[in-house]
Amino acid sequence: MIMRYLLPLLFSAGLCSGQFATPIASYDIKAILDTKTHTIAGSEVLTWVNDSPDTVPALQFHLYMNAFRNSQSTFFKESGGQLRGDKFKGDEWGWVKVNSMKIEGGADLTGAIKFIAPDDGNTEDRTVIEVTLPQPVKPHESLRIAIDFTTKTPMVFARTGFHGDFYLGGQWFPKIGVWETAGFRYSSRGAWNCHQFHANSEFFANFGDYRVELTVPSHMVVGATGEQVRRAENTLNNTTTYTFRQDSVTDFAWTVQPNYIREERMFAADQETTPEEIAAVAKLHNIPVQDVRLSDVKMIAMVQPEHREQIERHFTSLRTALKWFGLWYGHYPYKTITVVDPPYGAGGAGGMEYPTFITAGTSWRLPKRALTLEMVTVHEFGHQFWMQLVANNEFEESWLDEGFNTYSTGKVLDKAFGPSTLPVKLYDLDLWSFLKLPRFTQESVDRTAYLSGPVEDDLVRRSWEYYSSASYGLNSYMRTGVTLRTLEGLLGAGTMARVMRAYHQRWRFRHPTSRDFQKVVNEVSGRNMDWFFDQFVFGNRLLDYAVGSVSSVRQRTPMGAFEKDGSMNVVTRKDAEEIDVKNEGNKSFKQQYLCTVKIQRRGDAVAPVEAVIHFSDGSTEKRTWDGSYRWVKYTFLRNAAVDWVQIDPERKYQLDVSYANNGWQSKYNIALSTHWTGNFLFWFQNLLLWMTAIA
Amino acid sequence: MNPFHAIQGAMRRALSRKRMIGLYWLFHTLCAALAAVPLMGFIVPHLARSRYGEELLRQFDFMWITELLGITRDSPLTVSGAAAAAAACLAMLGSLFLAGGAVKLIVFEAVPYSPSEFWEGCGRCFWRLLRLMLYSLLFFGAVLLVDGLLNKGARKLWGEGMVEEPLVLALWFRQTLMVLLLGFVVTAMDFSKVRLVADDSRRSLRAAFGSVRFVWAHMRFFFPAWLVLGAIWLLGTWLYVQVSKRIDAVTMPSILFLIVLQQVYVVFRIALRMLSWGTAAEFEQALRPKPEEPAPVMAAVSTEPPSFEASEAEDFSI
Ligand SMILES: [Zn+2]
Repeated sequence: MIMRYLLPLLFSAGLCSGQFATPIASYDIKAILDTKTHTIAGSEVLTWVNDSPDTVPALQFHLYMNAFRNSQSTFFKESGGQLRGDKFKGDEWGWVKVNSMKIEGGADLTGAIKFIAPDDGNTEDRTVIEVTLPQPVKPHESLRIAIDFTTKTPMVFARTGFHGDFYLGGQWFPKIGVWETAGFRYSSRGAWNCHQFHANSEFFANFGDYRVELTVPSHMVVGATGEQVRRAENTLNNTTTYTFRQDSVTDFAWTVQPNYIREERMFAADQETTPEEIAAVAKLHNIPVQDVRLSDVKMIAMVQPEHREQIERHFTSLRTALKWFGLWYGHYPYKTITVVDPPYGAGGAGGMEYPTFITAGTSWRLPKRALTLEMVTVHEFGHQFWMQLVANNEFEESWLDEGFNTYSTGKVLDKAFGPSTLPVKLYDLDLWSFLKLPRFTQESVDRTAYLSGPVEDDLVRRSWEYYSSASYGLNSYMRTGVTLRTLEGLLGAGTMARVMRAYHQRWRFRHPTSRDFQKVVNEVSGRNMDWFFDQFVFGNRLLDYAVGSVSSVRQRTPMGAFEKDGSMNVVTRKDAEEIDVKNEGNKSFKQQYLCTVKIQRRGDAVAPVEAVIHFSDGSTEKRTWDGSYRWVKYTFLRNAAVDWVQIDPERKYQLDVSYANNGWQSKYNIALSTHWTGNFLFWFQNLLLWMTAIA
Repeated sequence: MNPFHAIQGAMRRALSRKRMIGLYWLFHTLCAALAAVPLMGFIVPHLARSRYGEELLRQFDFMWITELLGITRDSPLTVSGAAAAAAACLAMLGSLFLAGGAVKLIVFEAVPYSPSEFWEGCGRCFWRLLRLMLYSLLFFGAVLLVDGLLNKGARKLWGEGMVEEPLVLALWFRQTLMVLLLGFVVTAMDFSKVRLVADDSRRSLRAAFGSVRFVWAHMRFFFPAWLVLGAIWLLGTWLYVQVSKRIDAVTMPSILFLIVLQQVYVVFRIALRMLSWGTAAEFEQALRPKPEEPAPVMAAVSTEPPSFEASEAEDFSI
């Protein structure tokens, strides 16, 4: 009880800054890699703490590697054997077999293992097992379980496996699920949260302390989660055993390859940040300077020989990410960070995050301004903050890791590296830069992607329940980026920065939900933003405001019958016209215009919006509209016509699906029409000239 | 005859046909307008009165493109696509038609330019040039096949490997080879056009294969000339890119200057096309053995417009 309810209070009070998590699921693993059969002979001792008030009768484990067992697994059925463009080829399937499972010094559980499929009932799926215990685990009791297992690694196409003599060990050992007691996340009663491995899903685990002994052929260069604490050569069989340790993480991954170039650099916190930067952050969050200071980190890069010239780009990316993520959300608490560059042909292993260990990816002779390497490295590093330190359930709420990370990564990249090009080359010439094609910020990349399918789904769904894997990607990454930037627009940059840091600090080493974030937003901003979450996070409303119509009608002299001194006085049409003509010639006469501006809400999302109406005499009117009905009309009687109208002038609503219809101007943009017509004409002329070269 | 002499001669031939270059430009521009105008038809209303247009004046914005696609969805794009396809067909057929007149006036230098001479050549040669184009697809297809096979081979050798470098180097090799092979085919086909016109022959298939053989056999002449023409194109393109990217096209004068520059580049490309026909004509005259008995048409060439009636039934081929 104390553990569960006291700890959150401590965290909220900010007393825990710098402290590690309470271990719930800790692993002591010994693994021997056989590169001939691509198998791992493993034995693990799991120490699991029941930190709940519940009595737990059975355990559930993920056997992730069985996703690659055959074409009948849920992963294969959902993915069709391909992920992120990488396809499964050949017959090197992957699996994990639990040879034995025992309570240490107690009962043998092997016979009690049964496969379950809690998500889809697919009896062919072997990615989750349940083991009924002879005696239930009592509240706050801990359990040590020894598991003997064999893992066959697959040909790499989805994160894990081998390619040639390269190995990436991810999702490779039997891993216990998360016991969710009532009140934990969305749980209303104690139950296991142990989802099957889905095509679009990532993972979820408790924090724990890991100690892993990895025995591999001696010629291999090794990298893994955490710090290497021991290295012992076994001269008898030409293997070497590496021991890695890392406390307070949710997973463990490793890699080997004989020809990695492995280099180290130090992130020296005091040299990477200036006192002014530290002071500015302390001031913004109203916290002591020492709480902002970062710590030193050993950066390790494991790069392919053909990318030798890009080693420093890896370090620069890590350095930049360590600095800004650290300053914005809180220092990176681990001692190492390893970035892995998988070889060509093993792209499926790239762009993945594990605790203190990430995989990036690049291409041969990548142009300098094409920032794909920086993007992927900063992004995967960002997951140390969104996924690892703040360990949400990636199966169920991927926006909290992928989306938050997209938002944060975009900010780091745009701030530190500026806009990027695409790696389009003619031979070794960077064609994109040569032709001076437009560069793009991460912010615009996100919105571009978002616009391709703005509301196919609610933003938050269980990852395998999106309309398509494209929709999963769009919502989990880019639409979240745009949504959080919109929230930032509404709250202001300073408040948003405080929201993000408060959320991170409060949920560091814990497992938040979307609702927890919502609570922090309301609390820190002091505003009720539920309307925003209802429509844009838990809903699928489309936001589109538009200038409907604008008119400025010159006011004429009134005509007709008017009562004057008790009798009717008729101003004839002719009289009125004569007065108008006279007025026209009179320079001191102030012509009046009846200006009407109609603003429409074309989407189903309702949100307060600002509009600026600018008149040709330089004067300006500002209006705020709640958007409740479909349109609103503003009228002004002025001495000038409307010059331009702009809805949402500060572009707070990046979620608005059309920027073009947010603005109107009286001046017809002849330059634009001319320029683009000229360009299109020129491009078509050239295209036709190429085509008719054969005529 | 060295290649520089050939190109010098070609220049003389092309420059004496400035009006023809103008006509070609007009035709390509009209075809391009056929594709560009519908596209502008839905872009201009979208932006011309939007303040977003001001931001987009300098350069495209990817956000705007997806925004436009999202709003317009299918219909306007289908219209634009159809217009572009129609423009492409028209350009192809029109180019084949015009090529007859153009090649005729380039080959027969002494014939003074007149619209009737030009259109006569267009009408006379259309079908044989159309056939030639279709036969040329065989050669272009062969080039693509070679490229496909090389690609397959490279994939087989290095596709499953651990390094990307050999695949990229193989791509560069393939790109180079493709440029050379396509250059060869285009040169040979240009030569066969000249040959068909010079001989007033209808035997397109024979001309195509004969020209491939001939150009191959006289590579020491054709290749350097092709290289020089290629270098001129590269230089012109480089110049255009360098100047155009320095123009900040946001004011009307700068936009108009850019448009003029673009059209100068288009004319340059058309002139280059004439230049390659002219080069082929120079080589044809200098290198190709003439038939034993001079045909009446050949005699007529130097003095007056050729009278083609006499040769309709006969073929002159190597
Ligand atoms: Zn990610």
